[in-house]
Amino acid sequence: MAKEEARIMEGKVSLPYRWALGPVFSRFFDEFKNKKIMGTKCPKCRRVLVPARKFCPRCFEDNLEWVQVSDKGKIRTWSMITFEFSGQPKPPPYICALVDLDGADTALSHFIDGIDMTDLEKVRDQVHIGMRVEAKWSDNRQGNIMDIAYFKPM
Amino acid sequence: MANMVAIVAVEQLGPEECANDNVRDLTFRVNKNLLNQVGLKREDVGTIVSSSSDFWQGISCSNSVYYDALGAYLKNSSKTEEDGAFAFIYGAMRIMSGHYDTCIVHAITKGSEIPCLSTLTNLYADPFFQRPIGLDDVSTAALQAMLYMNKYNITEEQAAKVVVKNLGNALDNLYAHKKGRFSVEDVLKSRIMAYPIKELDCATYSDGTCALLLTSEEKAKKMTKNPVWLRGMGWCVDHQFFGDRDLLDGALRKAARMAYATAGIKNPSNEINVAEICEPYSFQELLYYEQLGFCGEGEGGKFIDKGNTTMKGKLPVNPSGGVLAHNPYVARGLLRIAEAALQLMGKAEKHQVDGVKTALAHSTHGLAGQHHSVVILGK
Amino acid sequence: MARRAAIIGVGQTKHGRREDVNYVELIYEAVKAAIADAGISPDDIEAVAQGSMPSPMEGVNANHLYWADAMTAFGKPLLRTATCGSVGMSIAHLATYHITSGMFDMVLAVGAQKMFEGDPQGTMATVADPWFQRWFIAGAPGVFSMQAHQYMYRYNLPEERVREAAARISVNHHNNAMDNPYAHLRFKVTMEDVMKSRIIAYPTRLMDVCPSSDGACAVIFASEEKAKKMGRKVAWVKGMDYAGDEHFFGDSDKVVWEAAIVAAKKAYQQAGITNPRKELDVAEVYNPFTYQELIFYECFGFCDFGKACKLVEDGVVLRGGELPCDPSGGVLCTNPIGATGLLRVAEAALQVTGRAGDRQIAGAKTALAHAMGGACQFNGIMIVGSEL
Repeated sequence: MAKEEARIMEGKVSLPYRWALGPVFSRFFDEFKNKKIMGTKCPKCRRVLVPARKFCPRCFEDNLEWVQVSDKGKIRTWSMITFEFSGQPKPPPYICALVDLDGADTALSHFIDGIDMTDLEKVRDQVHIGMRVEAKWSDNRQGNIMDIAYFKPM
Repeated sequence: MANMVAIVAVEQLGPEECANDNVRDLTFRVNKNLLNQVGLKREDVGTIVSSSSDFWQGISCSNSVYYDALGAYLKNSSKTEEDGAFAFIYGAMRIMSGHYDTCIVHAITKGSEIPCLSTLTNLYADPFFQRPIGLDDVSTAALQAMLYMNKYNITEEQAAKVVVKNLGNALDNLYAHKKGRFSVEDVLKSRIMAYPIKELDCATYSDGTCALLLTSEEKAKKMTKNPVWLRGMGWCVDHQFFGDRDLLDGALRKAARMAYATAGIKNPSNEINVAEICEPYSFQELLYYEQLGFCGEGEGGKFIDKGNTTMKGKLPVNPSGGVLAHNPYVARGLLRIAEAALQLMGKAEKHQVDGVKTALAHSTHGLAGQHHSVVILGK
Repeated sequence: MARRAAIIGVGQTKHGRREDVNYVELIYEAVKAAIADAGISPDDIEAVAQGSMPSPMEGVNANHLYWADAMTAFGKPLLRTATCGSVGMSIAHLATYHITSGMFDMVLAVGAQKMFEGDPQGTMATVADPWFQRWFIAGAPGVFSMQAHQYMYRYNLPEERVREAAARISVNHHNNAMDNPYAHLRFKVTMEDVMKSRIIAYPTRLMDVCPSSDGACAVIFASEEKAKKMGRKVAWVKGMDYAGDEHFFGDSDKVVWEAAIVAAKKAYQQAGITNPRKELDVAEVYNPFTYQELIFYECFGFCDFGKACKLVEDGVVLRGGELPCDPSGGVLCTNPIGATGLLRVAEAALQVTGRAGDRQIAGAKTALAHAMGGACQFNGIMIVGSEL
């Protein structure tokens, strides 16, 4: 029996967005523009949450204290991305990671760079879990997460 | 939970049948097949709970487009989103409430119609902090795998064994999408997507749908000599910020505990005869062995090394081939429950495990398994 | 239903254009208020039921995962439902089943929307299937205007008369919203304002139509045991049901609208209501469009078919009437879609427990809450009462 070819209709859905930041993230990014990374400390569990938040997700408290954390820390985990997808932030290869900044109890997701990414073995020599890294701040800061261009080995 | 909810029948449509048809007509077919199997008419069914995803379908309010195809015209039918296991959980609650004594639960995804899994899962990430870093299903699985390897010396080879096992098991599953005899070498040599995740470590995108008939105890006893009973269920969610989470011990342990408590299971690796786990990335199956209590912390690699989870092993995992073999994203959670039920009914055909009395079905969705559910079924 | 459930606390945000908070913070505001209202602690919540309009509305996929922390859901069971405009009611139903199943004693229901962050009409256009209807449906105004025309022709009603009745509803509800500190639109309108306002999709005019709003609603459901410990009136769930039509807008009659009739009938049966007009004290009807509300009055049995205009003209369903509808101002004044249906439930609960402030209908004991969804596809009902 001849297999009928599936009839496909193509379409695209394209929608514009404008996301409200709220005062807490707004302040976070204002300080970020000034090369300061801010966290908020929960009065109940005493954890410092980065990025700064309005409330602690475990205690549900919202009377949080603003504290500055370091722009240096260590890699909690990382991966080098070598596949493509539509809407990707940059063309591969690039490295994304979770960074535990000194003074913070939660990790920040960001890129690792300032290393030779020509092949995986080279990367594995240069990057590892627990490694100390520091922020490479962008020269042209806009008040968003890319004000840090990437974290680089110390 | 004593016999409050039974699964009386299971139907599924495999990828070939799904390829050439739209979600509406596929939903009709699988539900009609289910009704025919048990000799019921649409009018005989009390309620229907379905699961699908708007983004996956490119059709918002995704159940709206196939509502009548569910047989739900003028009926009370609802939808749970993103995970087919939710349809089962909600359907079971509707029966347990006593409001209904029959409930069809259904899930559908046409993976072949989506733009790109990574694009859609990158949209799970918040727009301010995590989306710009490109966090998506694959990269977050990689971040989790790195941590796992680093902490417990889990190897890529051990993860590859999951792929070999599951794609091999899938050869005996008529409904699986991807199947074949692969070697550990094949997996290790496949293209690196996001280190250490390689192409063969990842699930593919599949088309699939399934429907199950749930009933009250009374109805079940009238309809079949072989009902499958719900023994326990648990579900749980983790933090939204990726950096807030303990990626190696998250929501699954709590979901399992909740299910085991109701089911009275104290020693999972002894008391569960077969498990259908959602393992979209090979490493995750090893990690989930631990969080499900099949083995100790950090022992997931050793557990598979010992052959415990093969078809002849102490606790076969994914006789159907699991998600690596067949990944209709939203339907996969309900398919695990369907497969577990088939095992208990003795209807798993070529991938039947012997002597199954208690089966576990697990599902997960969200980045690196932000959300998990566990369902325990028994005879 | 053997096991009973009651609403023991509600919370909502100030609805409107909420650029002062991000989406997660908006949720937190409502949840925090509900927890305070119920006098419980976040840890008392055992499970969470959530829902909203489709994720493309705000551009975050699977937003139950996004909102998780703001709903106290970390480490707890969380379930998401999504049924278009009717989702708010679906969330309430879902939370109720959590309780009546016997699995949980205290469940949080959360619905919300942040419509100013996306393109609501653009998103809603994607509800229509891509093969046949998407090009023609023209979003919500198109669908409901077609329905309005059908109604007029069906009963041979002069357009002027129907237009006037619709305007009366608009005036009444906008007035009501002045007593609701949470409502989005809070301004009085006159009959002339409404009838002369700009045409959106004929015959619907600007003042016949709801706004797009940002807002969130949180409702806490409890088991009988827990509810009775509250030491104050709670809103018992007396009946609830839901029904849906086919997907194709042209398949079923949307005037004698079976999905609305059936859902109401079954809910009444469970609640032991035989004469809704007499036995209901207040109704929070889902009313994004004034004309559509006329149809709901008839389908819910408040009057005979074709007689809704008279119901309005006689003031029965207006403030001060026998069965006042939408004392909160309803959807017409506040519409964060994912929350809207749940807000109807919250408002109904506030009414029957005597906690509706300036918008309280005196002596209200039994209330109907309703939500509608899709291109005239779904209807869900919940009846709440302060007495068992």
